[in-house]
Amino acid sequence: MHPLSRRSTELGLVIMAATITAAAYTLASLGKKSTIPPIIVPFFVALLGLLLLAHLATRLLARGADSTLLPLAAMLHGIGYVMIARLNDRLAALQTTWTFVAIAAYIATLLVVQRAPDLARYKWTFFVLGAGLLLLPLVPGVGRSVGGARIWVNLGPVNFQPGEFAKILLALFFAGYLYERRELIAASTWHVGPLRLPEPRYFFPIVLAWGFAVIVMVGEKDLGTSLLFFTLFVVMLWVATERATFLVLGFVLFGGAAYMSFRMFHHVRDRVDIWLDPWSRYQGKGYQIVQGIFAIGDGGLGGTGLGQGRPDLVPAVQNDFIFAAIAEELGLFGATAVLISFVLIVGAGLRIAVRAERPFEKLLATGLTALLGVQAFIIIGGVIRVVPLTGIALPFVSYGGSSLVANYVLLALLMRVSDSTSRRIGELPDDPTINERFLAWKLRRQLRKQTKRTGATTAGPTDVSSDDTVLVTGHVRSVE
Amino acid sequence: MNTQIRHLAAGLLVCYLVLFVQLNLLQVVKRDRIASNTNNTRAVLRDFDKPRGPIVTADGVTIAMSEPTDPTIDKTFKYQRKYPTGELFANVSGYYTYAFGATKIEKKYTDVLAGRTSEQQLRSIASIFSNQDSTGSVQLTMRADLQQVARDALGANEGSVVVLDPRTGAVLAMWSYPSYDPNLVAVHNNKQANDVIQFLNALPGKPTLANAYQERYMPGSTFKVITAGIALENGLIDFSSTWANETSYTPPQTTNPIGNYHGELCGGDLREVFRRSCNTVFARTAVAVGADKMVAGTAAWGVGEKIPFDLPGGAVSNFGTVAELKDAIPKLAIRGFGQDDDLMVPLHMAMVAATVANGGVMMQPYVVAATLDHDGKVLNQTTPQVWKTPISPTTAVKLTDLMIGVVQNGTAKCCLQLANGIQAAAKTGTAQLNAQGQPQRSHAWIIAFAPADQPQYAVAVMFKGVNADISASTGGRLAGPVAKTILDWALAHPLGERK
Repeated sequence: MHPLSRRSTELGLVIMAATITAAAYTLASLGKKSTIPPIIVPFFVALLGLLLLAHLATRLLARGADSTLLPLAAMLHGIGYVMIARLNDRLAALQTTWTFVAIAAYIATLLVVQRAPDLARYKWTFFVLGAGLLLLPLVPGVGRSVGGARIWVNLGPVNFQPGEFAKILLALFFAGYLYERRELIAASTWHVGPLRLPEPRYFFPIVLAWGFAVIVMVGEKDLGTSLLFFTLFVVMLWVATERATFLVLGFVLFGGAAYMSFRMFHHVRDRVDIWLDPWSRYQGKGYQIVQGIFAIGDGGLGGTGLGQGRPDLVPAVQNDFIFAAIAEELGLFGATAVLISFVLIVGAGLRIAVRAERPFEKLLATGLTALLGVQAFIIIGGVIRVVPLTGIALPFVSYGGSSLVANYVLLALLMRVSDSTSRRIGELPDDPTINERFLAWKLRRQLRKQTKRTGATTAGPTDVSSDDTVLVTGHVRSVE
Repeated sequence: MNTQIRHLAAGLLVCYLVLFVQLNLLQVVKRDRIASNTNNTRAVLRDFDKPRGPIVTADGVTIAMSEPTDPTIDKTFKYQRKYPTGELFANVSGYYTYAFGATKIEKKYTDVLAGRTSEQQLRSIASIFSNQDSTGSVQLTMRADLQQVARDALGANEGSVVVLDPRTGAVLAMWSYPSYDPNLVAVHNNKQANDVIQFLNALPGKPTLANAYQERYMPGSTFKVITAGIALENGLIDFSSTWANETSYTPPQTTNPIGNYHGELCGGDLREVFRRSCNTVFARTAVAVGADKMVAGTAAWGVGEKIPFDLPGGAVSNFGTVAELKDAIPKLAIRGFGQDDDLMVPLHMAMVAATVANGGVMMQPYVVAATLDHDGKVLNQTTPQVWKTPISPTTAVKLTDLMIGVVQNGTAKCCLQLANGIQAAAKTGTAQLNAQGQPQRSHAWIIAFAPADQPQYAVAVMFKGVNADISASTGGRLAGPVAKTILDWALAHPLGERK
């Protein structure tokens, strides 16, 4: 595909996603109340408007980026929204607000991050921020326990789940750290008996990150998030070092931690027991998962039809169990469509990673994609009893502002890496970004002033760092 | 790094394939097992969120229907089942509840009413674009007006009334007192429904059990129709037979004599002993026929066999087995006139009258005339079926003759003279429940049909012997007027002339 036709493809797909969402919204209303929703026209206009806005922002800010990611996210987001709206009007209104914020966050991320490699410079900032956010729920007075897990933060009027943002920050940190030191870590020059390990000083930050994941699991009782961090950490280490030893070692460490927590913590053992046999615990802790399975089984091949099932029988169905509601009302066909959407997102994300030339971008794209793919697997697998259930949001689909906004930021970063690669490999001219144009304009003005004042032509800029000068002057030439 | 990324892609793909496989297992392979889990209420819930078709009587009265609930008041389900006639048809419609299942027609015809039969599904697929529901309706043979007449006639007495069309076996009315209001059971509040059911089940009259076809009672002398029929069929008695007058008869193997009602002297020819209902004569006749032929003969009337009725849970009438009666002549003797463990379902006794009326052919009773789809097209029409042919047409004529005698000059003379000079044929019964020396307790029975020459209606009326007033009376005096009221009204109001 010609890189420039990507945006047209995206436009077509985005319109399709908006139309499908509006149609599903109408069907859900027909199924539930036998009326066409009175706000269907404004709904469709707003929906299309938002998605077109995101599309236009992409066209302006990342025109070489992958064409399928945004429509896939919009599709999942749309299905999730229809499901939430069909379950609860009040939550739907909130989710609408979060939708606007999420699209704004997507555009803002594309605006702020215009050169992916720049991010590597701030890896320690990301580390501090990520670790801070991760630990925030443990701070007395700020953190709040909901349903047994202490993953919420109350800051004045704002409630959010910092873990959703921490995962992106930590992926950024891992990518930044590992791309620099991956060879040093892989070299493994430290001999401990028969084992050859990396120098402790290179390995230490990773152990630290791993330690945070353990704290999350133990302190916040958030198994889903800690499992996600473990996986992210192991996968990125493996990809960065190209050594399967780390994959094995990582999973051994994880297995050990899991076994220890299984022995030590009641809530972990409960999860495993419920996973193995929810049926005998129907009256107690197995109720939610059994009701979820009833809902899924009830869906059958074609589903009950939107608005015609009883997903409301499943506790917390709009959050962790939204997949059960989709499987009930849209059946195996609809649920498979959701699975395929995630497979396509993973495929597109990893394709971006493979195509990327700079190791940092490669690692970043891998990490971000793994986050999405693994998170969706953990929660869907938990709902349908492939793995023990650990409460975590289904990206783009579940109700919740933190998750939605964070995942759109994640999406924007992937788009940025993708666009960056297109420029790098010469598919598109490497035009200056808006920031750079602004800097160049400032520089030119300064130069003109200086020229006027001194009349000299040889003086260079004085208040811009030399790095930027080289970069910007190069672009000034290509533009003018 | 690309190798690892590709491996990661493959690994995640495998993970998602596992999800896909498990999804197939849950939604296709194990679907039925999940649906039939005892904790899974989804199928029932779904039915409660859909309309359900009505049950309608032959005269067009809706006895069960679905009404959309007001969502501001009832958030549980979208529809509420209503029984506009209250207790009048409770024992036919049954009830339809979320927590306690369904009974009677609501249970047996639930697929039709919910629109779940394959035929309805096919038809609803054909009309998918016309936005119609696929619910069906059940059309009864019963008449609400006649049912009301039967109810009023029986009044506040425990007992049953069954009215049949002898030619087809169609049930026209079937009332049991006490009854109950199914609206109270069908409430969506499970606790309330449970309380009502507990209360109803604790009542001695067992209102949720339809006396008319789910209980059996000693038939008393009404059973003499069957005994006479068997003896006539076997050629043991005829109009020319005579019996000497006697007050009691002591069968072999016992010293306890069998007495006539009130110790009367009773005897004469067949017409006389039948219209006066001499116990001694029918005890002797049963003994003369013998255990083998009495058991075989009653079996020919369907006694001891489940009546092929379209309402579930019917009781089975009992006479006894050959092994039980072969060497127990006294039992055989008293069962010959409807005492002891001779137990008959009231519906079955109405069928006995109907068999005589129908020339000896016993039709299968039924209450459902047809099932209809949402458009009123017939899904299934009940065609009248012969169940038994216990007696020849000749014997039927002779029994009719005998039963006319009961009305003209016998135990029913007082109370079954129909309006407009229409002749009825009947047999009364007063079944003694108490042992000798105990206070008198008896059921009062009558079985009848009219007009005798061209029968249109067969009826059985039974008063349960629950108190001294009923027990002091006879079948003729107590049940007779009820039968007269019903037959008079039915003959004056054939179906179709109702406004």
